[in-house]
Amino acid sequence: MLDQKRHVDLLTTFPSLKRLLRSRSFQPGMMLLTLFVFTLVILTGLFGTPVGSRNFGIIFVWIVWWGLLIIMLVPFLGRFWCSICPIPAPGEWLQRRNIITKRLPKLRTLNKRWPRQLKNMWLQNFGFLGVALFSVIILTRPQVSAWLLLSFILLGVVLSVFYKNRVFCRYVCPVGGFIGLYSMVSPLEVRVNDPNVCLTHTSKDCVTGNEYGYGCPWMVYPGKLNRNIDCGMCMECLKTCPKNNIALNMRPFGTDLTIQKEHRLDEAYKAFIMLACALVYSVVLLGPWGELKNAANMQSIPHWLVYATSFLTFVLVLVPSVFGAFSAASWLLMKRTLPLRQVFIDFAYTLVPMGLAAWVAFSLGFVLVNGSYALSVLSDPFGWGWNLFNTVDVPWVPAAPQLIAFLQTGVLVAGLLFSVQTGYKIAREQMKLHRKAFAVMLPNSVFLILVTLAFMWLYLG
Amino acid sequence: MFREAAARMTLAVILLGLPVGIIGYRYVLEPTLNAESIFEVQAYAPERGGFSPAAIRVDAGEQVTLRFTSMDVTHGVAIGPGLDINLGHIDPGEQRQISLTFDEPGTYTYYCTTWCSPDHWRMRGIIEVRDPQNNNAASQIQPDPVIERLIEEGIDIDAVHTGSADHEDNILFELTSAARGSELIDSVVVPDELREIDWLRTHTPAESLTILSALNTSHSEAELRDVIAYLWTANSTYTADTVQTYNQNCAACHGESGNAEGLAAALTAEEPAAFGDPAYMFSMRPDVLYAKIRRGGMGTDMPNFGTLFTREETWALVDYLWSLAFEPELNE
Repeated sequence: MLDQKRHVDLLTTFPSLKRLLRSRSFQPGMMLLTLFVFTLVILTGLFGTPVGSRNFGIIFVWIVWWGLLIIMLVPFLGRFWCSICPIPAPGEWLQRRNIITKRLPKLRTLNKRWPRQLKNMWLQNFGFLGVALFSVIILTRPQVSAWLLLSFILLGVVLSVFYKNRVFCRYVCPVGGFIGLYSMVSPLEVRVNDPNVCLTHTSKDCVTGNEYGYGCPWMVYPGKLNRNIDCGMCMECLKTCPKNNIALNMRPFGTDLTIQKEHRLDEAYKAFIMLACALVYSVVLLGPWGELKNAANMQSIPHWLVYATSFLTFVLVLVPSVFGAFSAASWLLMKRTLPLRQVFIDFAYTLVPMGLAAWVAFSLGFVLVNGSYALSVLSDPFGWGWNLFNTVDVPWVPAAPQLIAFLQTGVLVAGLLFSVQTGYKIAREQMKLHRKAFAVMLPNSVFLILVTLAFMWLYLG
Repeated sequence: MFREAAARMTLAVILLGLPVGIIGYRYVLEPTLNAESIFEVQAYAPERGGFSPAAIRVDAGEQVTLRFTSMDVTHGVAIGPGLDINLGHIDPGEQRQISLTFDEPGTYTYYCTTWCSPDHWRMRGIIEVRDPQNNNAASQIQPDPVIERLIEEGIDIDAVHTGSADHEDNILFELTSAARGSELIDSVVVPDELREIDWLRTHTPAESLTILSALNTSHSEAELRDVIAYLWTANSTYTADTVQTYNQNCAACHGESGNAEGLAAALTAEEPAAFGDPAYMFSMRPDVLYAKIRRGGMGTDMPNFGTLFTREETWALVDYLWSLAFEPELNE
C-alpha cells in the first residue's frame, strides 16, 4: 500500500487532468506536434545551413530540447518526454494501424521474441557510449545530427515491424536509457492505488488491452510497478483499467532509488556512464583545452582514436574501479556481511542524483549561454535568409552569465546532499542500525564529495 | 472517426507535405519565381578546404547574390579585381551577402582578407563570368606589359635584394625624408627624365642618386636622398582604400609599417621584404615591386595578387610602399 501521507494522486485531485490523460487523442496529439518539430529538425539538418548556431535542428535539439529535458522534464516529470517522443510514433502507429482510436484487437507485427539476454539496459548503455564518442561532431554538424535522428526513427519502425510494443524505447533507445534511470529521482510516478485490486483482477486489461486501449506498450505490469525506470507514462493503463486503480502520484524525490531488490548491474553501469560522461563533456566542451576538443572533433583519426580509447577506459574502467575501491571500503566496514558485488551495485544508485545534478549543471553552462540563438533560428530555420517572425537579427546574448556559476554550484551541492542521503538510506537498509549504516556510507560519501569537487573545479576554476 | 481521419491527415502533412513543400519551394519554386541566382559560399580555413564552392559560373548581365558564411573562424571577404567590393569580417556562423551584376565577361576572384590560418593566402575562389551570347568563349588572360618588358630586359624578378650592409649607411638611410626633400627640390638640379613617371617606374632610387650626385656636387648625399624620396612619392596615387588593401593583404607578413615583422613573418620561407626600410627600397625598381605583387615571388611565400587587384590598384599599392619607406611620419 502506498504511504498516503507522502503521495498525492493528481488524478483524484484534478479530475480534468484525469479526463485529459484518459482521452485517446491527447498523447497522439502531442506526438504529432513533436513529430512536426522533429521533421523540421531533420529537414533543416539535411538541407539547411551547415553552421550549427544558425541551424534550427542543432539549436532546437541540442539546446532547447536538451535544456528542457534535462533541466525541467526529467527531474520533475520523469519519463513524461517518452510519452510524447516522436521517435517511436510511426512504428507504434504502424503496429496499431491507427493513430488515435483502437481498431485492431492485436498489434500487427511479425511477433518475434526479443532475446532474453537483451532484456536489460546494456544495449542502451553501449548505444549511448557510441553516440557520446561522436558527440562533438553530432552536436555541431546539422547533417550528422539529422542522420542520427533519422536512423533512430527508422530503427524504431524496423523494430516495431519485428517486435510487439515499444521494444526500441525499452531496450534500445540511448536517450530512453538515461531518462529512465534519472526518472527514478522524479517526484511523479504512475502506480496502482491498491496492488491487491490487481492481484484479484483476473483479466489484467492493463496487460492484454481492451476496447479502451492497448496492453502496456512498455511491457510492464502496473500491479507490480514500483520504479519509474521502465514506465513510459503513456497512460494506456489508465485507459484500460476497469477498476479505476491507476494513480499519478506526486511523491518525494528519489523514492525509487532505495528499492534494493531491483538493483541491477546494467543500471549501475548506466549511472557510471552518465556521471563519467558529464565529467568528460564538461572537460571537452566547456574546458579550455583546445587540443582535446580538436581530438574529440575528429580533426585527425589517430588523435580521435586516442581520445576514444581514453574516453572508454575512463568511463567503463577507471570510474567504476575507483568507485569499486570505495565500495570495497564500505564492504570491509560492514564486515563482509553482504556480497561485495551487491554493495557495489547498491551504492552505484547514489550516483543517480549526483549524475542528474552534474548533467543539469553542465547543461546550464551552455543552455543559458546559447539559448538566445533559438529566437534567431526560429525566424530563419534553414539559414536561407528568411525572417519569418522578425527575430532573425536578435543578437546572441548569454542569459545571466554572472549567475551561471552560482546556479551550477547550487545544483551540484543539492545533488551531493541528495546522493549522500540516498547512500545513508541504502546503508540503513543494509545494516539496519544507524551507527553502522553511518560508518558504511562514509566511503561512498567521500567519493561523492570528490566528484562534486571535481565538477566545481571545472566550473568555477 | 473524424479524429482519426484528422490525425492521419496531419501525419500526411507532416511526413509528406512538409518535406515536399519546403524542398519544392527551395529548389523549384524559388528559383522559378526569382530571376536572381543565389550562390551559397561556405568559408572554411584553407586547411579545411577554403571556399566551397571555389568556382562559380555566372552570365554577364545576370543579377547574382553571393552569400558567404564563415564555417569555422573569422574570415573576411573581398571580390576583385576592380570591383571595390569588401564585405568585411565574417565571424563564425555569420553571413554576409552581396547582390551584383557583372557587366563584362571575365574572371574575378573572391578572397579572404583576414588572417585566418598560416595558409590564409590560399583562400580564394573564382567567379567566371561568361558571355551569354557565346558560352564557349573562354576568357583570355591578357599578358601584363610591365612583366613582359622586365622579362625582355632580362631582369630577374625574384633576385634577392638587400639594403646596404653597412650599419652607418643604414642609420643614415633611416633619416631619409620626402618632406625634407620637398623643401630642397628647388635648390637641386633634377633632369626632366627623373620627374617622368615612366622613368621613375623603371629605375631604382640608387640609380637616380648617381645621376643627381654628379649634377649637384654642393649637396650632401643625405640631402640628395631626401630629394629622391620626394621624387618617388610626389605623384603617389594611393588612397585610403590602398592602405586598407595593404593592411588586409600584405601587413600579416610585411608589417603595417613595412617593418617585415607582421604576425606571419616568422612563418614564411624567406624573410619578408621590409618596405619601411629606405636602404632596401633604394635598391628596388617600382616595376619589379609591381611584378612581384601581381605574379608572386618564386621560392618565397609571396602569393600572386594579379587576379585580385587591377593594374591601377597594384601601382597604387607600389606607391604606398615608397611612402612607407620615405614618409616616416606615416608611422608616427
